[in-house]
Amino acid sequence: MAAAAPQPPPPPFLATIPENTVPETAPFRHPLYARIRLATILDVPHIHKLIHQLATFERLAHQCTATEASLAATLFPSPNPPLPFTSFNVFILEVSPDPFPPPAPQEDTTNSSPLLKTLHLDLASEDSEKEIFRSEIGGDVVVAGFVLFFPKYSTYLAKPGFHIEDLFVREPYRKHGFGKMLITAVAGQAVKMGYGMVEWVVLDWNVNAIQFYERIGTKVYQDKRICRLTGEDLDVEGSAK
Amino acid sequence: MAAAAPPPPPSPAAIPETIVPETAPPRHPLFARIRLGTIFDVPQLHKLIHQMATYERLTDQFSATEASLAFTLFPSPSPPPPFTSFTVFILEVSPDPFPPTPQDPSNFSPILKTFHLDLPIEDSEKDIFRSEIGGDVVVAGFVLFFPNYSTFLAKPGFYIEDLFVREPYRKKGFGRMLFTAVAAQAAKMGYGRVEWVVLDWNVNAIQFYEQMGAKIQPDWRVCRLTGDALEAFAHLNI
Repeated sequence: MAAAAPQPPPPPFLATIPENTVPETAPFRHPLYARIRLATILDVPHIHKLIHQLATFERLAHQCTATEASLAATLFPSPNPPLPFTSFNVFILEVSPDPFPPPAPQEDTTNSSPLLKTLHLDLASEDSEKEIFRSEIGGDVVVAGFVLFFPKYSTYLAKPGFHIEDLFVREPYRKHGFGKMLITAVAGQAVKMGYGMVEWVVLDWNVNAIQFYERIGTKVYQDKRICRLTGEDLDVEGSAK
Repeated sequence: MAAAAPPPPPSPAAIPETIVPETAPPRHPLFARIRLGTIFDVPQLHKLIHQMATYERLTDQFSATEASLAFTLFPSPSPPPPFTSFTVFILEVSPDPFPPTPQDPSNFSPILKTFHLDLPIEDSEKDIFRSEIGGDVVVAGFVLFFPNYSTFLAKPGFYIEDLFVREPYRKKGFGRMLFTAVAAQAAKMGYGRVEWVVLDWNVNAIQFYEQMGAKIQPDWRVCRLTGDALEAFAHLNI
């Protein structure tokens, strides 16, 4: 930073590098601006692709039969869409080389304002699927991940909570804290609404995820198992009569 | 069969119907009904949930009050339509038949079933759990469930948070009746799955669930952020 040549003004938030120790040949940090916002029906094509990528990661692609149409119909029902956070909710994570505009002031404090964060990366991410995931917002904004969650109920607390059904960050954007950012968005919303817990499930072989969850204070239960009744088995006895 | 002499005393093996002794006891009918819970059921529901907490040895985690249950399960002035949010089915029993319920496709019709018991049930808490409906109707259990979502199916489902049958009424098929009610409602609504949690050492429960056609998912682990760990997210910058 002490070179003779004129220096561009430092980007905001760049405060961690002591000026007198950085060699002249050190690369400039690459800022990446991130935003988490509520999804809309226009995000469905990206959500659909992300769900399929998540299914592939979990080795469950054969179970994934969601289509854009079925996602749109169930996540963004019309004509009476439920209020945010009362039914199935999706937060979209977008990234951009340019800053996002600051969020408009929200009159209703229970609604979620978009969350913004700036990262400074040593290397610019190589994203070979950038074009596929270009945000419907336009510009250089790219969809990097999502979280889908819905209310659950804790009887002993007599309080609602959130259940996170899916949390996914695309491969080029992993290991930068985006997973934590998405969980923080959900957990922060839970606390804001006076909710009692946030729950989800993890595959027992996903040691990276388990370690990450434990670091943020999550309890991982070793003795609880999910039970599932599916499809034709739902009609257990035909009738209770 | 048609012997002049009195028939021999029954052996431990099954008794053929044609030689049932005249002294066979009459079966005891017990009429059961599952209906949607209402705010008037909250006092009974609160007691049931506390009994469940005692049974699970989790009373230290129990902080629900009648007021907090009423406020969160039966919010006012705009209660959500049944099955779109947290839903309670109440199980009631009576020595007398329940009135038949008109089948209304636009509303949930209570489910009726008659149980034939060998012995009448001794229920020492009968008066505490007398139904708000009145008469000789007693609350015997409940199930609490809510919609969940499967992204792989792009379909809602139901998640059963609690299912509880009071001790005098166990081992008679009431638990299965409550499960069936939730599963049938899911099927009726075109939902994809019904899910819940079991402890891996609860072999009796696992056997019961598998008999109903449920599959235990061996690879998934439940994660929970609560208490101070959750509160910490109020102050974190992302």
